[in-house]
Amino acid sequence: MYPIILLSFLGIVVLFLGFAKSKAILLPATLLFLAVALVGNFVEWNQGTIIYFYNMLAVNNLTLAFNGIVLVSAFMIVAMTRGFQDDDEAQPAEYYAIMLFSLVGAFMMIGFENLIMLFLGLEILSVAMYVLTGSDKRNLRSNEAALKYFLMGAFATGILLFGIALLYGATGSFTLTGIQAYIGQGNPSYLLYGGLLLVLIGMLFKVSAAPFHFWTPDVYEGAPTIFTAFMATIVKTAGFAALFRLLSHSFTGIYDYWWITLAVITVLTLLVGNIIAVYQDSFKRMLAYSSISHAGYLLIALTAMTPQTENSILFYSMAYSVATICAFGVLIPLAREKAMTGKPRETYEAFNGLARNNPLLAFVLTVSMLSLAGIPLTAGFWGKFFVFGSAAERGIIWLLVVAILMSAVGIYYYFRVIMAAYMKEGDTAEIRVAPFYKIVLVTATIITLLFGIAPGLFTGLV
Amino acid sequence: MPVTLLVLIPLLPLIGFLINGIGFRHIPKGAVGLIGSLAALGSFAASVAVLLAFKEGGSQPMIVSLFDWIKVGELNIPFSFQVDQLSLLMLMIITGVGSLIHIYSIGYMKHDPGFGKFFSFLNLFLFFMLLLVLGSNYVIMFIGWEGVGLCSYLLIGFWNKNTDFNNAARKAFIMNRIGDLGFLLGIFTIIHAFGSVEYTEVFRQATGLPVGDHVVFAITMLLFVGAMGKSAQIPLYTWLPDAMAGPTPVSALIHAATMVTAGIYMVIRSNVLYTLAPETLEIVAVVGAVTAIFAASIGLLQNDIKKVLAYSTVSQLGYMFLGLGVMAYSASMFHVITHAFFKALLFLGAGSVIHAMSDEQDIRFMGGLRKKLPITFITFAVATWAIAGLPPFAGFFSKDEILAHAFEHNKLLWGIGVLGSALTSFYMFRLLFLTFFGSFRGTHEQEHHLHESPAAMTIPLVILALLSAVGGFIGVPEALGGTHQLAEFMSPLFDTARQVNPEAFAATALTHSEEWILMAVSVAVALIAAVIAYVMYISRSAVPAPESEARTGVENVVYHKYYIDELYDTVFVKPMKSLSGVLSSFGEFVIDLFVEGTGKLVKGLSNLGRQTQTGSIGYYVFAMVVGIVVILFWNLLLN
Repeated sequence: MYPIILLSFLGIVVLFLGFAKSKAILLPATLLFLAVALVGNFVEWNQGTIIYFYNMLAVNNLTLAFNGIVLVSAFMIVAMTRGFQDDDEAQPAEYYAIMLFSLVGAFMMIGFENLIMLFLGLEILSVAMYVLTGSDKRNLRSNEAALKYFLMGAFATGILLFGIALLYGATGSFTLTGIQAYIGQGNPSYLLYGGLLLVLIGMLFKVSAAPFHFWTPDVYEGAPTIFTAFMATIVKTAGFAALFRLLSHSFTGIYDYWWITLAVITVLTLLVGNIIAVYQDSFKRMLAYSSISHAGYLLIALTAMTPQTENSILFYSMAYSVATICAFGVLIPLAREKAMTGKPRETYEAFNGLARNNPLLAFVLTVSMLSLAGIPLTAGFWGKFFVFGSAAERGIIWLLVVAILMSAVGIYYYFRVIMAAYMKEGDTAEIRVAPFYKIVLVTATIITLLFGIAPGLFTGLV
Repeated sequence: MPVTLLVLIPLLPLIGFLINGIGFRHIPKGAVGLIGSLAALGSFAASVAVLLAFKEGGSQPMIVSLFDWIKVGELNIPFSFQVDQLSLLMLMIITGVGSLIHIYSIGYMKHDPGFGKFFSFLNLFLFFMLLLVLGSNYVIMFIGWEGVGLCSYLLIGFWNKNTDFNNAARKAFIMNRIGDLGFLLGIFTIIHAFGSVEYTEVFRQATGLPVGDHVVFAITMLLFVGAMGKSAQIPLYTWLPDAMAGPTPVSALIHAATMVTAGIYMVIRSNVLYTLAPETLEIVAVVGAVTAIFAASIGLLQNDIKKVLAYSTVSQLGYMFLGLGVMAYSASMFHVITHAFFKALLFLGAGSVIHAMSDEQDIRFMGGLRKKLPITFITFAVATWAIAGLPPFAGFFSKDEILAHAFEHNKLLWGIGVLGSALTSFYMFRLLFLTFFGSFRGTHEQEHHLHESPAAMTIPLVILALLSAVGGFIGVPEALGGTHQLAEFMSPLFDTARQVNPEAFAATALTHSEEWILMAVSVAVALIAAVIAYVMYISRSAVPAPESEARTGVENVVYHKYYIDELYDTVFVKPMKSLSGVLSSFGEFVIDLFVEGTGKLVKGLSNLGRQTQTGSIGYYVFAMVVGIVVILFWNLLLN
């Protein structure tokens, strides 16, 4: 609860800081504010479930842990922005403020107790993302992406709202407990089923599950890379936290009704994400499909909905976020240094010979790719292991078979990057990386390896 | 128990490894040696502190849980350390002898370009070895087990420009993998049978099982296969002599004093299980005894100073397994300790000789070195005396204890043991006489360069010589009017085993006079062998024949190590190679077809799927709507 208040207020402070002559203060200030919010977040650690604002918002260890993942991800991403100093047209104060505000939306989604809060949080987060996607104003692709994202997002929001209305119509309540109580009475009406499906569709759009994924590649590619990273990690984590909360708190009573739909969507998402990623030439676009495929793996845990699910989603989100941040973190300096005719170069070829030019970046990249591919000794392996474990516990073996086959396909496109970095000769342009930037990347890599070797360190926390 | 202190024991070498491993190109040589040795010494100091703290706290094992490591379903594997008599003794050997060898290496490796690399590997080895003995469950032991295997591989092939050395490293690795497979299957069986890998939990449950239980038999056999690989027992011993390709300090630390005793550690650690499986113990005893005499017989005719010591190590490890097989667990541990002292000393002494001889290792070209290398000579002689089992040095007490237990158990095994001890005495004195006595047989240039080694090398020699001389007094048998402090210290380790099979731990039936006779026999045999060696190599100053000379039948077979390497090559390697040839010519075609076909299929699908991404927003929304309609239609109307 504290980070919501803190960041709402501190976001405004950042806006005012924007009036200062020197923009240099913005980055440290934002990082400081995020750190403050992170500390504020864990004040309520281990205090059981606390309900705020007349049943609107709940705080417990799980929501705090999700908040923690979101905050740490945000901290790393903000740290990699370098204050937007190399761009005269940029408006860093606004960007930072919007990022902080969007986190408030994410927290609301993570801890919502009332569907209104879910909607509010989702919109705060989404609108912020529309703006950030289009922040590179002179870039046509950025504009196009923002417009696409906005149009389709608005459509999905409409569906979600419609679903919420139907749920209210059926149950007479917006609260999770109210809906659960209604289902507990038995014999729910058709309105409830329709409402659930529409809400699910609205949410699945946000986490880019197939067949509602079409916006993802175009938007991810068009948006400035730093905001793509933001989208790929924070929106996804918050989206899955919200989906998990919704399904586990209210709809376990009619599990038999919704799981098969979710399972089919899961399979479709896995297929689309992994198979289409194979043909991509752009690293950024590949990561977009990779983000679709990871949505698929996370959906497996939701589909299984066992007592393990909450831990597996948490661990998976952490592992995925950290590895994705590393991947984008390596791409950003590389694409800038190897820019051709003013445009950043984001194809696989940009990575050629990276191991020679900058062994550190190559190593960071390798660990992140291994983690995304789910190779042992990285956090990504355990993420997949826990997710698959929950499906095995539920006994949905056919889903597991598809998932394992698809993760084999995943190795192809993740390893292409490693091969480019280590086995191909490239130009010898020097890649310069600021020390602070390096610290962020190395920390993220250490996290990936540490939780890959000792996952108990993380799972023991919650 | 000070947890931080305990954690420091493995952590210090790890830190040393990281510093030297990452920065070896930039750190000056002096600092590299200092960092590596300080890490080992610090670890030793912490071990001593932990030992003292443990002695104050009583005799019960202490388990220090660091964090939850793996939690899958019912199985919970914590990352925790177990401190008890066994792990403490191993700690003392590993860090103590390890520190000495680190210091020795500063002198020995001084001129090597890979100095930094060497020290980082050595520290990494210490880390894994400490993990192996500190872990409180089989999985941590396995990590250490694999880790030391890796370091052994890296260090055997340390001079990786030489193809033979690389092959030796690979051989060691592959042979160990065979053993590891057994170990791994053993762990799986333990998980299956007990649902846990924690020592305390497994042994607690095992007490409920009857003696001779089939599952326990399977587990102990599988674990023993692992031990055979790591501790170089027949049939998996051939890698150890080849492992002498590594730098000599490595041979001393890894291939004599510590890593190869991991198999013994494992059996003693699992003493409850082994006590429940008398059939396994019988096999262990036979394998040990046969290895002891077999390797000793090969040692008789070897001419490479390090090869002789290598076969002697295999043979001594055989004695330790013989001791385990007759349930003389603490006697075996005693021999591990004394062996660590005198065998490390022998290797380091050999290293000093090789250092002086400008890398010559063939004893046919040595001789008369005692005047030029007095310290090396005296310490080497002490070690020879100790390993030959002559009183009052360390080897006498430990070997005799094993032989006494063997006598009680089975007279034949005892006979083999005594014969082996005669052979040991002979080949060791042969080595001593050929190297240090007589006249110099090397080239003129070598003679010119002869010099005693620097202090960094001789000080560890002297310390180890002292330990080899007096180390045996921690276990003086009652028959000689002493008290067996080591056995008393280790006694609580076997409480559980005593409970499940009290008969096996019955008090010794030997009278003191019988024990005296046994001791007299083995000492006499060793002395006679030493005298024969004296007559042959000093009185008659015989020198082993050069490579080219023809040898008679039996001699030839023994000289060529019973052609075991060639046998393995014909029986395993060649058929495997031809099978692999068949598979690669035929199988590869089929598999390629399949693999590439799959790849093409995925790529084709990918190309098709890619075309759905048209970029047109109307199309996207349309696809979404279709999705929504299908979902709603299917769920609401068809269900």
